[in-house]
Amino acid sequence: MIDEKPAVSPAFRIASIAILAAVTTVLTRVVQIPLPARGYINLGDVAIVFTALTLGPFSAALAGGLGTALADLLSGPYAFWAPISLVVHGLQGLLIGLIAQMRPNNIVLQIAGGIVGMIVMAGGYLLAGVFLEGAGPALTEVPGNLIQGGVGVVLGILVGAAVSRAYPPVRQWKW
Amino acid sequence: MIVEFFRPGNSLLHRLDPRPKLLFLVVVLIAFFVPSTTWVLLLFTAAIVAVVAFFLGPAQLLPPLKSLWPILLLIFLLTPPFHFGGQPIIRILGATLVTSEGLDTTLVMLLRFIGITFGFFAVVRTVALDDMVLSLRWFGLPYAACLVMTITLRTIPSLGAAWHNVMDAHRLRSGLVESRRRRIVETYLPVLTSVLIEAVKGIPVLAMALESRGFGRRNPRTSYAELKRGRALAADMLVLAAASAALLWPAFIRW
Repeated sequence: MIDEKPAVSPAFRIASIAILAAVTTVLTRVVQIPLPARGYINLGDVAIVFTALTLGPFSAALAGGLGTALADLLSGPYAFWAPISLVVHGLQGLLIGLIAQMRPNNIVLQIAGGIVGMIVMAGGYLLAGVFLEGAGPALTEVPGNLIQGGVGVVLGILVGAAVSRAYPPVRQWKW
Repeated sequence: MIVEFFRPGNSLLHRLDPRPKLLFLVVVLIAFFVPSTTWVLLLFTAAIVAVVAFFLGPAQLLPPLKSLWPILLLIFLLTPPFHFGGQPIIRILGATLVTSEGLDTTLVMLLRFIGITFGFFAVVRTVALDDMVLSLRWFGLPYAACLVMTITLRTIPSLGAAWHNVMDAHRLRSGLVESRRRRIVETYLPVLTSVLIEAVKGIPVLAMALESRGFGRRNPRTSYAELKRGRALAADMLVLAAASAALLWPAFIRW
């Protein structure tokens, strides 16, 4: 029995990054979930966690960074956050993927990666916010970012498992 | 789903080439972070807002302000307590709430935020995303990266439609969304799973299409769209170089 992973072609890499970046943009821009208390969260982080666990760290870094940056560019008034989102969410996807890849299918490492990614994302936006808005307003955004990141980790892991079960070829696509 | 924030038009801002406009954004960012006085920042912000109002119409000032007022309010309320230097301005029960340094920093933060927001707004409102990708290609971004951006932009509308279709289907079957709005996992997990399966199934199809269209060959690529060349590009570069010089002069003055 041949147990080797099939080689992923450059065209396949382009296609996977493009489609998952589009998924990230759609989940960031279109889907707004009302919170019980007040305000909304988006599901962009779900797409990043899903990509990191399913297609690996480099797909997640590129698709997550590009997808969220495009979502900011398409939003208009928040366009100047695009370069920050590119870096912050790119790093988030890379770290989640690298940590989860240490032992594939290990739920503890997946959660740990998700938490590290969540902290990096919230920290990155806090740092950028301190420069752009000042420390006070930037600190008020941290709880919302952590809630959004937490929802992203939970749903991302669940949806990753569900998609792998429903569509098994995806297990061979990691690079 | 409307993908672009760009609105077609025939104003001077629309007619300028996207490449100098993208360079000008870098200048705007530098200008608002270079040490200068509050009055200079006020002048820059007023100039950028005036340019948007004059070339795009005063009504175009509303969308950014509508989105930004909560952040502006937070900056206004929460910046002063973090700065203690200077003369006390507002004191309540012996405690200083606002100092002159706090007030000055608050104004700088507000002006910087408004100025950068409107600078970016003016560009994304007047540059089509396809032209932005062509500009990035001109600046040296690899072909593969530009191809990824283009495919992503083409895929977003169909995926957005797929999300709404799947959501509607689930709503029709069980009324899940309306009745259990607060149960995020239960409501969104089935929809997310369906949409993601739909999306990832498209990856091998797209990869095959790219390969059959010759992706990976070394021969030069052609493009349907072209940006300005020669004198037209040089004229636009000159206009925005003059605007950049006007924004960057405080960098050369010791305040």
